Amino acid sequence: MEGVILASSSCDTEKEIICAPENVLELFKFEEAWFSIGPFDWTRTVFLMFLATGIAMLLLYLGLRGRRIVPTKFGVAIESLVAFVKDDIAKGIIGPQGVRYTPYLLAVFMLVLVGNLFEVTPLINFPITSSMALPLIISVLTWIIFVWVGFAKNGISYLTGIIWPRSVPLALRPLVGLIELVSTFVLRPITLAVRLFANMVAGHLMLTLLLASGIIFIGEFNLRSIIGVPWFVFGLGIFVFEIVVAVLQAYIITLLSAVYVQTSVNPDH
Amino acid sequence: MTPEAAELLKGAIALVGYGLAAVGPGIGIGIVVGNAIQAMARQPEAAGMARTTMFLGIAFTEALALIGFVLFFIA
Repeated sequence: MEGVILASSSCDTEKEIICAPENVLELFKFEEAWFSIGPFDWTRTVFLMFLATGIAMLLLYLGLRGRRIVPTKFGVAIESLVAFVKDDIAKGIIGPQGVRYTPYLLAVFMLVLVGNLFEVTPLINFPITSSMALPLIISVLTWIIFVWVGFAKNGISYLTGIIWPRSVPLALRPLVGLIELVSTFVLRPITLAVRLFANMVAGHLMLTLLLASGIIFIGEFNLRSIIGVPWFVFGLGIFVFEIVVAVLQAYIITLLSAVYVQTSVNPDH
Repeated sequence: MTPEAAELLKGAIALVGYGLAAVGPGIGIGIVVGNAIQAMARQPEAAGMARTTMFLGIAFTEALALIGFVLFFIA
């Protein structure tokens, strides 16, 4: 039992009420490399990232290959997913020219959706978005895109529009400009990454602690097993809630990427 | 103060800090969702737009609580 569940590595069921790991980080680190290619270690996390990419690409390929007049049920499901990103997010937020950014938004949406749903997939049970690398790379890519688009569409007036906002009274312009400068170029990418990361960390932590504690306490088969029952039931309730959170966070990171690009395409709005 | 006691105290203070960080966003999300529901009830045909904007508002408001949550683990 102790080898299976990391959270239980030092759980004294006589004293503790919940089996917390000594170090929270050990729930999110898989140190032992399966094999190494040069300096790159191939750990479980890396494998899961490649697996998520492969699943996302396979879903799109299988759903959209061989288009026919009456598509299959699977094809309709994938098509509605693509249409949701294209029509509701890209066109709905950015406007008619948002179609250009659909490939990026769709890639982010599919990768984050599959990666988040790994949290509640049996035998995987690890959301790859709960290691900071993936959300950070996505938010840095979004940052590069919206800064690039802002300067390409508006020239230097993109920067001056942020530092010296014309719609604000003259006395307040330096203050508002400073706040806008920091929030646009520093806080946006940080909060975009931290939002996804923290949600997934919280979910994974809660699921591991509750379900592992429940299983260990019930497995003791003594009077203290009664403590394990509410932990386990509560954990199952959180499990359903985490499915909603996984889908919602994939939607929100795509939506916010679109909103940030939109502020660069039409800075006046 | 012994090092163990200091460690325990640090954890407790971090926990209180996270609790304080969660108060503001909790109130904020309540206001956002409440007003979105009011907008949907008054104008059901604009419910889709209100829902999208509601999620945006929640995402922006929630950021502070999440930063508090991360700081709780870093501390």
